[in-house]
Amino acid sequence: MRRIWAILVALSVLMFFFYRIMPTLPEFGNVEMFRKSTFDIIHKSTKGPYDAREFKKSKNLEEGSANVVTSIVVNYRSFDTLGEVTVLFISAFGAGLMLGSLRSNRRITFDEHNVLITASGVALPLIFLLGSYVFIHGHLSPGGGFPGGTILALGILLLALARNDFQVAGTKYVEQISGAGYVVVGLAGLAISGAFLANFLPTGTLGELFSAGVVPFVYALIGFKVGAELAGLISDLREGGA
Amino acid sequence: MSQFIHQAISYSLMGIGAFFYFLAGLGLVRMPDLYTRLQASTKATTLGTFSLVLGVGILNPAFLGKSLLVILFVALTNPVASSVMIRAAYKCKLPTCKETYVDEISVNENGGETV
Repeated sequence: MRRIWAILVALSVLMFFFYRIMPTLPEFGNVEMFRKSTFDIIHKSTKGPYDAREFKKSKNLEEGSANVVTSIVVNYRSFDTLGEVTVLFISAFGAGLMLGSLRSNRRITFDEHNVLITASGVALPLIFLLGSYVFIHGHLSPGGGFPGGTILALGILLLALARNDFQVAGTKYVEQISGAGYVVVGLAGLAISGAFLANFLPTGTLGELFSAGVVPFVYALIGFKVGAELAGLISDLREGGA
Repeated sequence: MSQFIHQAISYSLMGIGAFFYFLAGLGLVRMPDLYTRLQASTKATTLGTFSLVLGVGILNPAFLGKSLLVILFVALTNPVASSVMIRAAYKCKLPTCKETYVDEISVNENGGETV
């Protein structure tokens, strides 16, 4: 009896899907994605009235990133993002301090697996390529510095899982340089445009790689910073404290 | 006619892929222990992904290069992941189902040849 009820429920869900949901979907291969994303979503301007934005055509906008989330996170609320990066740094730092105070000196060791060692050599460049792509194209497509940096750190985690003698070194310097670079970008905005972290580069054409002013540079810095922090955290957890 | 054959080949490849995905789900439900479950799901997922993505690539030749890249990436990563998972389960001495007789890892490691 229960089986019959389950079949009936599944059939009704499938019927609903086929007769109500399917006709509302656009025809396969016929979706004008650019029209959707440019006319309906990217109506953003803090100074004037809304006007139409067109992919690859609109030039010199107030803020030229095609990804709305990026334009809010790294342009309109960039100061907040600087705070978020600081929070991440402090939590990684605190975890390192706590693990260091334990002083267990019990380094995690395991049996190495030849398949994983060979595959890590093949997969590592692909992972780094994907991570760099995600944070370089943060102003064009979904993604950005935080997920890109996390993907970079996942590559480091793969190496740490594959080899016993793998050690992470120099993450401190990468993190310090990129964190200081973020503040330098903010100070340059203060000097040139008159507000901390304001945009001071030309915004270019919507949808091109070199557009959206300082957003790509800030996202690359955030990507390196997050990747270095998470890699340092992985190494702290592995070594039992710094 | 050639259009029809072209579409028939790609849609039948996609159907084969969907069928293998179904087999993967069935194997997860019906198999007795982790080793056989992982065997069913990874083998079927690999084959299913290959057929489905190749079908999409043949249906729309603009996607063919991308679909070949996807196949290459799945072929590189999926066997490694399943091998590492199975090895971790074996190192944890996870019990096998009662129909299992052959244990090639222990035979090889006692024979001096590492796996």
